[in-house]
Amino acid sequence: MSNRDNENFEPKIVAFLCKWCAYSGADLAGVSRLEYPPNVIPILVPCSGKVDMQFILKAFKEGADGVFIGGCHTPNDCHYISGNYKALKRFTLMRKYLEQLGINSKRIRLEWISATEGVKFAKVMKEFVEEIKKLGPLQTR
Amino acid sequence: MKKIKIAVAPGSSCGGCDVALVNLNEKLLDITNYADIVFWPTALDFKIEDLEQVNEIDIGIFVGAIRHKDHVKLAKLLREKSKIIVALGSCACYGGIFSLANLFEKKDLLETVYQKTITTENSNGKMPTESIKMGNIDISLPKLTNWCLPLKNLIDVDIYAPGCPPGERVLEKLYNIIIDFVKNGTVPDKGIALEPLKTLCDICPRKKPEKIVIRKFKRIHEVKLDPELCFLAQGVICLGPISIAGCDANCIKANIPCRGCLGPNQDIHDVAAKFISAIASLVQIDKEKELEEEIVNLIEEIVDPIGTFHRFTFGSGIFNKKQEDVME
Repeated sequence: MSNRDNENFEPKIVAFLCKWCAYSGADLAGVSRLEYPPNVIPILVPCSGKVDMQFILKAFKEGADGVFIGGCHTPNDCHYISGNYKALKRFTLMRKYLEQLGINSKRIRLEWISATEGVKFAKVMKEFVEEIKKLGPLQTR
Repeated sequence: MKKIKIAVAPGSSCGGCDVALVNLNEKLLDITNYADIVFWPTALDFKIEDLEQVNEIDIGIFVGAIRHKDHVKLAKLLREKSKIIVALGSCACYGGIFSLANLFEKKDLLETVYQKTITTENSNGKMPTESIKMGNIDISLPKLTNWCLPLKNLIDVDIYAPGCPPGERVLEKLYNIIIDFVKNGTVPDKGIALEPLKTLCDICPRKKPEKIVIRKFKRIHEVKLDPELCFLAQGVICLGPISIAGCDANCIKANIPCRGCLGPNQDIHDVAAKFISAIASLVQIDKEKELEEEIVNLIEEIVDPIGTFHRFTFGSGIFNKKQEDVME
């Protein structure tokens, strides 16, 4: 990857987006021609509850600087009833694990984004990319 | 029949695996009918020079993790001379408890041990040196490697025999491999000395409720454990869902939850991340919608995810260290 130095650092962000809400939200952001940084690599998953925490580590290992998980709003939006709660619970524990590993827990982010919230998707992505830019490239031992 | 040669080389180990080998009892005597033990420093007075003089070894058993320069040398020498390399014990297979040291830099470890602990009195700030001259004699200590590593990060391993220490089932399989090699010359397939691979939960004798719900995480001293009921259903963390079954559930039968010493089942790349995915979802699973905030606080109560979930396997997690990193 080219810009790994701190000055012109362009982070790589892997975003796991649920098929029913967040991914549609991202689609809407695209269709509405909203601007957001091109650092995001979206990956379609059936549900945020499908995201195994190993995926996050794998993404970091393969060179991601931040990992985003997007799911449906709580309490009642999840297509599979409670997948988003599974994601929330895993995410909480995962942050703790990452801190122990020496990875700043701000490098992972979980947001609920509905299919109508293209604006929110673009806004969150802008924020997240800014945040990761501040943190700099991920350095793993 | 020609006798084969066996060598047992120690790395960073507590000695428990050697005791487990001695615990083979009569079978060990049986092995000596088929094999000469040419190197085993823990049991008899062998030096590394003895290993250097042996031409060829059939089965080289390595016990413990790689922690300093001499372990590196020993492991490489063993690989060079042996037809089959066996990693015996969780430290050799996965890094073991020793590999939890990888959470810290080498410098910090030494500082903590020699200066910072409350019971250490070291007002001059003396640190261990690698060599010292006393009169005409050079005395040296082996240099620590940068990280504590499982054997596979350094050399090619043929057979993994995990366990802390390896239990009867693993050792029996290993024994059969050795006997088979002597009698029929069968070179075993690479892989783990256990089969078939199931998780501990598959063979666990405890009663499992239809739906396991964790209401609160408890540590084993905080609760009177029901000897019949699944640990997870009692809120006690048990690594059964991801650990290999190869121990006849001995800990479980003694009313102690599984700590995962046999390592993860196949296809698991990082034990802690996988276990987080499994256990976090069980928390208040039937009351998620009402208790959203409480659930988050409840999960925060797990003090030490790495020490609990990665107790024996940290050295082989996704962020394990590359071979180039071993020495500076």
